[in-house]
Amino acid sequence: MDRITYLASAAVVGMLAVWNPAAFAQSAGPVKLGLSAALTGPFNEFGEGIKRGAEIAIEEWNAAGGVLGRKVELAEVLDDQLIPDRAVQNMRRILDNQDIVAIVAPGPSGPTLAVVGMVVADGRPFCNSQAQTPTIVHPDGPDKPPHPNVFSVAMSISSEAEKLGTAVSAKYNNIGIISESTSYGKLGAELIRKSVLGIKPNATVTAETYNQRAQDMTAQLVRLQRAGAEVIVFVGLGADATVLRKTMTRLEIALPLYGSSGLVNVAFMEGVGDLAVGVRATNATTFGQKPFPAKTQAFLDRYRAKFGNDRWYGADTENPLISMAPLVTGAYDCVNVLLSGIKRAGSTEPKAVVRAIEDTKDMPGLLVPSIAFSPKNHSAFSPSDLAIYEVKKRGDKLALDVIEK
Amino acid sequence: MNFFLTLVLTGVSVGSVYALIATGLNLSFWTTRTLNFGQGSIMMLCSFGFAFMVTNRVSLPVAIGVCFVVSALIGVVVERLTVRPALKRGGGSMGWVVSTLGLGILIQGLAAKFFGSQAVAFPEILFSVRDSVRIAGVAFSLQYAVVIAITLTVILSLELFLRHSRLGHAVRAVSEDAEFARVQGIPVDLIVVSSFVASSLLAALAGLLAAQIGGTVDSSFGFDLVLLGFVAGVLGGMGSSAGALFGGIALGIITKLVGGYISTAAEHGIAFALLMLILALLPNGFFGRNEVRRA
Repeated sequence: MDRITYLASAAVVGMLAVWNPAAFAQSAGPVKLGLSAALTGPFNEFGEGIKRGAEIAIEEWNAAGGVLGRKVELAEVLDDQLIPDRAVQNMRRILDNQDIVAIVAPGPSGPTLAVVGMVVADGRPFCNSQAQTPTIVHPDGPDKPPHPNVFSVAMSISSEAEKLGTAVSAKYNNIGIISESTSYGKLGAELIRKSVLGIKPNATVTAETYNQRAQDMTAQLVRLQRAGAEVIVFVGLGADATVLRKTMTRLEIALPLYGSSGLVNVAFMEGVGDLAVGVRATNATTFGQKPFPAKTQAFLDRYRAKFGNDRWYGADTENPLISMAPLVTGAYDCVNVLLSGIKRAGSTEPKAVVRAIEDTKDMPGLLVPSIAFSPKNHSAFSPSDLAIYEVKKRGDKLALDVIEK
Repeated sequence: MNFFLTLVLTGVSVGSVYALIATGLNLSFWTTRTLNFGQGSIMMLCSFGFAFMVTNRVSLPVAIGVCFVVSALIGVVVERLTVRPALKRGGGSMGWVVSTLGLGILIQGLAAKFFGSQAVAFPEILFSVRDSVRIAGVAFSLQYAVVIAITLTVILSLELFLRHSRLGHAVRAVSEDAEFARVQGIPVDLIVVSSFVASSLLAALAGLLAAQIGGTVDSSFGFDLVLLGFVAGVLGGMGSSAGALFGGIALGIITKLVGGYISTAAEHGIAFALLMLILALLPNGFFGRNEVRRA
């Protein structure tokens, strides 16, 4: 091989080494994002919420001229019905599309945990808006390095557990926990136990589990009652919380009921009616401030103009459903995180975007009022972004009031 | 004592729903030796449709009437389009398992399409969740009491019908030997389709009662309950009304006692292991009988 041929070969190899097909493919057309979520099926409140939040954020960016002078497009929107296997298939399709430059994570933990490995191997920026399991972002613990390209604005169960543990240990010495038998539920129960015992080492904590869609929770409740529980903390979703609240009423168990954010969703409020009064649950501070901050109000106005008073917003225009915060606004924040990263990087090249996202500081958000990341911390949500709400009766309506920030 | 009694009373109540479902499965088993595995979707459709109608201000009696009429029609469809064609092929075809399940999944998908996929509140039909009586110092919900009373009434009525009415005798004749019954002039086809209609009506009734207990219903409602109803039927002895009642209540009590005394996480696991043991010793269940088939 002569000298010229050698140099030419080296130059080609060097160009190939730095060439990124995603960045190349994106140099002209719109900036394309992808997502897989539960758009149909029994859990479509999660996926449809993500899609709606993402759509509004993209419309705002496009109205302002797009990013890097190009329009933004939600190019791959795939339905996984919250089934992990299907989420994996969808994510494979998204990752095989080299035009996609950033990805919004599937909803809850099951499908997100199923895809996170392949996303990490790929390297394109990935933002989680709903899944609460901390290991999605920090696989080896909160003090250890995060996955390089995985970011989260979601309410983590660790934040909720800390908030709930602090709240109940301030008032009670014997705490009963009922959690769903999923990894999310078990982790939540364990973190609450640790939080309580960390604050009050002599407290008694008893934990019971149930299978999702259980029709009765008598065994769990009488066991907690026998253990002398003074309060019940619930980790699960609203439809199951309905069964819990009704079973408590049937058994005449009048203990205070606290719960994670899934407790006070539409299914629970409609399912138990006035029995919801007095129930306390954590949720984002997003809709706890009245009047709403200008950014929140602007989002709500745009949402209602686009989708109306739908099942996510609720019938009461002045008081949107609090479940909108984790279900819809997280995806809105995620898209803004990803596109802001692209804008600051001046490129769609994955490593540059990831570095730019890690430099995010004090970015206004909805689910997280002030979004910040660092190379060591890829989770923006903290316990201070949570409040404890109580269901109260106002006239003939049920409303949620912040009772503890 | 209160701990034990609370678990037993709840077990009897929950088990009554399983018994009702098992009785519905028995009806088609008597006439065709098949089971409608789409029963769960009928439970779901009736309760989901009922909740939807009541939310849209349809009166309770009209909503219940519509539920039962639609469920009866589905019973006809199940027999005509899924079971009969599969049985016609003969040869011990198990096609009816797939086709009844398939129809159930189709109904589930259609319900999700038209009513939405999210859980919706189910209204209280009989008594409020707060209504209760005290039994030996333990609060016992009247909503549960209604479930037990209705289940006992249905099963007793069914037994009286089978033993003391001409039509009941005809059903038993079809159950014993359909071809011989046809030769005797018994309208076998009508009795078979009627058994599927009655089976669907019982599923609808079980759906309404179970949804009232849980308080919400979604498009996935019913599948788990049918599985437990099937287990109750097998435990008691498939085809036996007394067996359905015994199996349902036994299953309910065992799961609650296991949950209460051993572990709520193992509620179903240990209970099912016990049932497997029982069935190993009594393959036909407690009230089942050995069948003698012609060569």
